[in-house]
Amino acid sequence: MIEFKLPELGENIEQGDLVRLMVAPGATVNTGQSVMELETDKAVVEVPSSVSGTVQEIRVKEGDKIKVGQVIFTVDGAEAKAPAATAAAAAPAPAATPSEQKSVPTPARKETASEQKAQPTAPSEPATSGGGEFKLPELGENISQGDLVRLMVSAGTKVSEGQPVMELETDKAVVEVPSSVTGMVKDVKVKEGEKIKVGQVIFTLEGAAAAVAPARPRNAPVEHVSGQHGARLAFQAAIRAEGKTEEQALPPDQPQQVPAQFSMPAQLGKVAGTEHRQAIPAAPHVRRLARELGVDIYEVKGSGPGGRISEENVKAYAKSLLSAATSAAATPRAGHFAQPQLPDFGKWGDIERVSMRGVRRKTAEHLAEAWNTIPHVTQHDRADITELEQLRARFAPKAEEAGGKMTVTAIALKVCAAALKVFPQFNASIDIEKEEIVYKQYISIGVAADTDRGLLVPVIRDVDKKNIVELAVELSQLSKKAREKKLASGDMEGGTFTITNLGGIGGVGFTPIVNYPEVAILGLSRSRIEPEWINGKFEPRLILPLSLSYDHRLIDGADAARFLRWIAEAFEQPFLLSVQG
Amino acid sequence: MSDNQSLNIAVIGGGPGGYAAAFLAADLGMSVTLIDPELNPGGVCLYRGCIPSKALLHVAKLLEESHQAKDWGIEFAAPKIDLARLRSWKENVVKKLTGGLGVLSKQRKVKYVQGRAAFENSTTLRVTKTDGSEESLAFDRIVIATGSRPAVVPALKLDTPRMMDSSGGLNLEDIPGTLLVVGGGYIGLELGSVYAALGTRVTVVEMLPGLLPGADRDLVLPLHKRLEKMFDSILLNTTVASVKDEGNGIRGKLKAQDGSEQEKVFDRVLVSVGRKPNAEIPGLEKTGVKAGERGFIQVNKQLQTDDPSIYAIGDVVGEPMLAHKASHEGRVAVEAIAGHKVAFEPNAIPAVVFTDPEVAWCGLTETQAQRENREIKVAKFPWAASGRAITLDRPEGMTKLILDPQTERVLGVGIVGAGAGEMIAEGVLAIEMAALASDVSLTIHPHPTLSETVMEAAEVFFGTSTHIYRPKRG
Repeated sequence: MIEFKLPELGENIEQGDLVRLMVAPGATVNTGQSVMELETDKAVVEVPSSVSGTVQEIRVKEGDKIKVGQVIFTVDGAEAKAPAATAAAAAPAPAATPSEQKSVPTPARKETASEQKAQPTAPSEPATSGGGEFKLPELGENISQGDLVRLMVSAGTKVSEGQPVMELETDKAVVEVPSSVTGMVKDVKVKEGEKIKVGQVIFTLEGAAAAVAPARPRNAPVEHVSGQHGARLAFQAAIRAEGKTEEQALPPDQPQQVPAQFSMPAQLGKVAGTEHRQAIPAAPHVRRLARELGVDIYEVKGSGPGGRISEENVKAYAKSLLSAATSAAATPRAGHFAQPQLPDFGKWGDIERVSMRGVRRKTAEHLAEAWNTIPHVTQHDRADITELEQLRARFAPKAEEAGGKMTVTAIALKVCAAALKVFPQFNASIDIEKEEIVYKQYISIGVAADTDRGLLVPVIRDVDKKNIVELAVELSQLSKKAREKKLASGDMEGGTFTITNLGGIGGVGFTPIVNYPEVAILGLSRSRIEPEWINGKFEPRLILPLSLSYDHRLIDGADAARFLRWIAEAFEQPFLLSVQG
Repeated sequence: MSDNQSLNIAVIGGGPGGYAAAFLAADLGMSVTLIDPELNPGGVCLYRGCIPSKALLHVAKLLEESHQAKDWGIEFAAPKIDLARLRSWKENVVKKLTGGLGVLSKQRKVKYVQGRAAFENSTTLRVTKTDGSEESLAFDRIVIATGSRPAVVPALKLDTPRMMDSSGGLNLEDIPGTLLVVGGGYIGLELGSVYAALGTRVTVVEMLPGLLPGADRDLVLPLHKRLEKMFDSILLNTTVASVKDEGNGIRGKLKAQDGSEQEKVFDRVLVSVGRKPNAEIPGLEKTGVKAGERGFIQVNKQLQTDDPSIYAIGDVVGEPMLAHKASHEGRVAVEAIAGHKVAFEPNAIPAVVFTDPEVAWCGLTETQAQRENREIKVAKFPWAASGRAITLDRPEGMTKLILDPQTERVLGVGIVGAGAGEMIAEGVLAIEMAALASDVSLTIHPHPTLSETVMEAAEVFFGTSTHIYRPKRG
């Protein structure tokens, strides 16, 4: 028996309300088939199954709040059979409740009907004969490719479903990719170091036991609304670049098969050419206007009674799409660096061109976005850490015992967590669209790590609830993971503030860039002994230079100065932490 | 976009879908050729379907009411039926309407070709005219609107005029003493009603456990009760195992689900077990058009087939096989050809059964909601509480709204009763406009009419219907 659990849906999405369940006990599901609609904070998304088989038990109800990782249903272990997959692929209507009436075609009846009429069946069938192939599956939202770091199989290797077969470096992390097929590897189609796209064939199989994932049903609704939205923006930008109209570039909707049986003209959802979507609360002329403006009416929120969508709602939505597209076009994006034509560097000497691999490209994109969005100001200050250094040396063995290293960064984590509690606007984000400030009730701090792959920022969660020794241990573990390329993308998400420490290298100060959508970042430089004027004479003191960059939209200069002063004083008098922190 | 308006298009099939498409194309400035074997546009609907059957049903209703008039103190002598005159009246109705379409076609400068079309390739048609001449014509776009034909059951095939399909039934060659109607769908019940009113003893055989499969049972019940009185018998869960031509009649062996069998001789048999798409157009294999399940031509929401220059609309692309769906599709297809951003995306398509009482519904049905596990609220208003229904002596009707419990939006409407077919349009409009129950209940409906039942059904939803007293709970 296999369990299907709610998969990760995206950053910061931990749960959702189950709007519609599309399977029932006894239904055949296939990998990739949409099985439910979930309403998250962000949008209603269709969730595809990651398992194949016959549904045995449903563990959730419509209306339930469902958490990531929660079991949705179980399927029996049997592998999905190809003919069933064909029938499922041909059926756009998802509902298959046990109380089916005679007038409703059951999948089985549909099959016999198509057999009797000897209709040409869907193309997925012949794919299974003579073995299968393993293609790079979907890895997550917005991840379309990765660099093959390590291949763990070769011709003749036996693989089974779930077994890791390769390591792939994506923008976000190095991930192990498990096989979705079982059998003997016949032919490996990729090499280490290659860039591999989602859907690309990795290897073919000898054995015939391959559980080939069936082709997605035609007209299957797009999985992630946000993904669809992104695709639309990219599409608009692309066709504009080609100088085409949308008309010329836009392929019409794919033809769709009609269901096998239909007794009376009541089931509009199954009428030829219409998808099985519930009737939208918008008058016909409003729906037509949406089409003319290129708006998916199902994405528009209606402001009228019962959610009725007005002409104004559609226009406003189209406007927001357009402005998003314009700003997206104005912002340098991956592969769309808006920069003047480069000179021919080769004129002046030999050059070498290297592809901007995963992390580098992502860093470029992210920092450019942060720089373009946030009006930056950097505030500098210094902290006298002479006393702290003595304490640090005293307690270092304790941290070491626990498996960590008592570093200035570890202490800075504790100091910042305390400061963020006192100054909550530094632990916030700006939602410009809604004109709201998002104050986070948790404190999770990212720590910039210098790895041979580039800059990575693992996040330590709930920093305020941990003591310095615990933080030191966790920081050591995360740094190790970062160096060993073992960081999962989840390890780098959800931060509310960032610390970057360049003290190990040197420097007297720098202006870090805020890790958007956070609003502030603290930079630490190398501490050094400096003469300080104390009680009428110079004394040698250990001074730590601090640099705080912040989002001036949300934070005023005076507040930033107060915040940084608070941090400096906390370094100077650790007692402050227990009094105010 | 404007150059799309000078396109040269062909429409194959002159039914309600085909001529609607052709006329709109002409109105948009395209040069249009409409090809159909009949003298004038009209198709099955006008020549052998909706229109002639409604003419006959009108007569049937009159006959029924003349019987009922006894209860109102008016007694008529037994009617004398002049079958030839009845037929010619019906044929005149058809001629008048199809002739009118011919005129409209000429006024719009649509080139009407009486003949049949075959594909030479995606943009060329070989047209064989009724006068025998042939011609190859090239077009920019071609719209297939070839419709459907009665389905044939091999076991019920007999070469005798006693064996009829819907077209034969409408020809009204005689008034048979007994008639077996195979199939309890809307065609069988409508034509059965006509013959029963003219004096034929009608037996209806339906394979499924209820008449009008697909419709909500509470809508079918009043009709079933009335038909039980009109017909000799209604046999559910029953199939016709075999038929035999015995010269003076057809012997039918009727087999019930429980295994019991009975044999009976009927003067005529009407087979009405559904319709099949006319997708077997000669030469279609030379194009990119693909057929899907049950032989329907596959199209997208713009009614475009897999061959980009060919569109298809109406019965040939799928259920529901209804004229009003075909016309709407025809117009959408032509607008798509003209370059407008359109799609076939109605929220509701009404279905009407023109029996007496009529049954009509649109949007979500209770049956469908149950199947999809959708939470709904149903508000019913029985016509026994309608003044107008009482004056008509037709209290058996019922109007119901299917509503979304959260938004109170009207999702479906079902009506059974005299004139339900005319009334359902209000339901369709309510659904298309996303009306709420309160929109319907706050709209003043004229008194005394049956249309008030729609308003009062919405009031029932709020528990405040004027003509129904519902004691407060608890």
